[in-house]
Amino acid sequence: MADDLVQVLDADGNVTGEVPPLKDDRMLEMYELMVTTRMLDERMMQLQRQGRLGFYLTATGEEAAHVGSTMACRDPDWIVPQYREPGTFLARGMPLTSFIDQLFGNEEDLTKGRQMPNHFSYRDGNVLSVSSPVGSQIPHATGIGYAADYRGDDVASLVYFGDGATSQGEFHTGLNFAGVLDTPSVFVCKNNGWAISLPFEEQTASETIAQKADAYGFPGVRVDGNDILAVYQVTKEAMDRARDGGGPTLIECRTYRLGSHSSSDDPSRYRPEEELEDWETRDPIDRYRDFLAERGIWDNDVEEEIRQQIEDEIETALDAAKDKPDPPLESMFDDVYEEMPPHLEEQRDELLDEAESSQ
Amino acid sequence: METLQHLDADGTLVGPEPELSDETMVEVMEAMVTIRTLDERMMALQRQGRVGFYGQARGQEAAVASAVPLTEDDWVWPALREGGIALTRGYTIEQYLHHLFGTVEAVEKGRSMPCHYSDKEVNQVSFSSCIGNHLPQAVGAAYAADYKGRDQVMMAYLGDGATSEPDFHYAMNFGALWEAPCVLFCQNNQWSISVPFEQQTATDTIAEKGVAYDVPSVRIDGNDVFAVHEAARDAVQRARDGHGPTLIESVTYRRGGHSSSDDPDRYRSDEELERWRRRDPIDRFRTYLSQRGLWDEEREAAFVASVESTIDDAIEAAEAAPKPPIESMFTDVHAEMPPHIQEQLELLEAEQEDG
Repeated sequence: MADDLVQVLDADGNVTGEVPPLKDDRMLEMYELMVTTRMLDERMMQLQRQGRLGFYLTATGEEAAHVGSTMACRDPDWIVPQYREPGTFLARGMPLTSFIDQLFGNEEDLTKGRQMPNHFSYRDGNVLSVSSPVGSQIPHATGIGYAADYRGDDVASLVYFGDGATSQGEFHTGLNFAGVLDTPSVFVCKNNGWAISLPFEEQTASETIAQKADAYGFPGVRVDGNDILAVYQVTKEAMDRARDGGGPTLIECRTYRLGSHSSSDDPSRYRPEEELEDWETRDPIDRYRDFLAERGIWDNDVEEEIRQQIEDEIETALDAAKDKPDPPLESMFDDVYEEMPPHLEEQRDELLDEAESSQ
Repeated sequence: METLQHLDADGTLVGPEPELSDETMVEVMEAMVTIRTLDERMMALQRQGRVGFYGQARGQEAAVASAVPLTEDDWVWPALREGGIALTRGYTIEQYLHHLFGTVEAVEKGRSMPCHYSDKEVNQVSFSSCIGNHLPQAVGAAYAADYKGRDQVMMAYLGDGATSEPDFHYAMNFGALWEAPCVLFCQNNQWSISVPFEQQTATDTIAEKGVAYDVPSVRIDGNDVFAVHEAARDAVQRARDGHGPTLIESVTYRRGGHSSSDDPDRYRSDEELERWRRRDPIDRFRTYLSQRGLWDEEREAAFVASVESTIDDAIEAAEAAPKPPIESMFTDVHAEMPPHIQEQLELLEAEQEDG
């Protein structure tokens, strides 16, 4: 099965497959998104360790898998995230300030301080909210695809999940219905080798995730998830096929989580150092940088400029986020009912009275 | 995927000489005829209002051959249509009737719906109506048996509809990971109540679903006793030898309603029914056994008469037997009855007395 791995760039950035026809600025945009994600990871983990952020999830090592697949979507398509796709939100137009405001849960957080950090949601970019229960998002993507098909919209859905989610009932339900209803849905599994502390070998007896598509009657593809061009190409073909009525696809992006599961996890407790080192030599950003350099799209000046700009943006957003107040207390009563029912109104008034008297 | 067949629809042997002894073949035939006779009588009783509910196995009787390779220590985890398998393992027609009538003599003490047979004596757990939920239980029991070093195989039955349930997914995944000694025997009878197989899954077969879990699978003619037996024998042996689960897709057809509460005329065609009637598992096996001189019409008539008479006696016994005492609903959950249950029991008894 490993022989079936689709690859355009090898670990050293050499072209081994067919490079998708992307313009130079698009290629550079993909690079910038990966670098932004990596820089955010580094800075936010630092803040988390300083106690300034409650929680963070890094995507280090998995940048190509999610940025490449997101870039293969069209604007009207719907993306259903897992929780390790920061680049997806940014690629779909979410401003960096909104990203950071969400982590701080302040007044300008689009999710109004109601979510854990990293549980972004971006309606303007057709990206659903992150939901922590593993795999629960998979049937949603099937349903969105089915609805799009039913309404005759020229739209497909794409959903992210990890290797662990493939053992969940929702994976089975979501993919079975997608097969039966022939929905325009693309299922992207980022197989990063570990479901928190559970290694892939203990997740399933099958050699690959891709072969699980056989059980649902549609194609499964296995791609080098650290090769952004291969991920882009495979996803684009799947999304086009879905929109053209060709039905769903399961894509297995073989990648590796170089960081921890989350800021609450210590992977040195369960995984061997050599494994980490081995995967560090296959870094998705390094190989793409080498490719871009070879193409004449990238050099040290470009790198410096990009990094400086991102750093400025991050620091500006952080400075602003710190000073923004928390969402107003009464906002917790909003957004469920179009008109607030009397019992909630009563609870709200009671709370506000108490808040006032305790000041 | 190929469908294994040894005995074709006309009763002609198209595979190797069967390994089953003459005696076992006759036993399988008798078991199949018993099930069909019971089904006819029980459906009549249900229509007369004497039994509340019934699920017949008409057309799927050859599945009993899958239990032939099981030992007394192995366990059966049934779906709705495996009451006949309990009968081949020592459960009696009288118990069967007590169960359907929910009498004081019923193993389940009147607590289960009809057709939810169960008997610890023959290692058959209760069917529970929730589709597929017994599959992870079977895998868990297999894992436990293996862990404890017991030589036990878990034989779990399911329908085509159950393969869409998350429980099927869990069972296959964990079964394969743990190499649990179990067999998943899927009776693909083409209909999940009114959902046809084509709307159940986008795959052509159930068997190919094994690929997702690296579970070996086989597709067989489920109306062919020899194919059923061979597939089950190999799978049970594999499990016993420590090589984990097998998925068997037994292609068959439910000729009756899903249950006595169902009217299949509403959703399926007469032509389809007729097509499958011509592939009847009993007819073809009768033809084969007759050619071998092991069975004939006379013998069948005598056998049916004896089953009928056993059924008559069993009906009489079940109808005469009292219902379980009302207080029995409070027993068998706690080793010692807790005070709040005790209180409820006394309240009920007082009310009964007043009433």
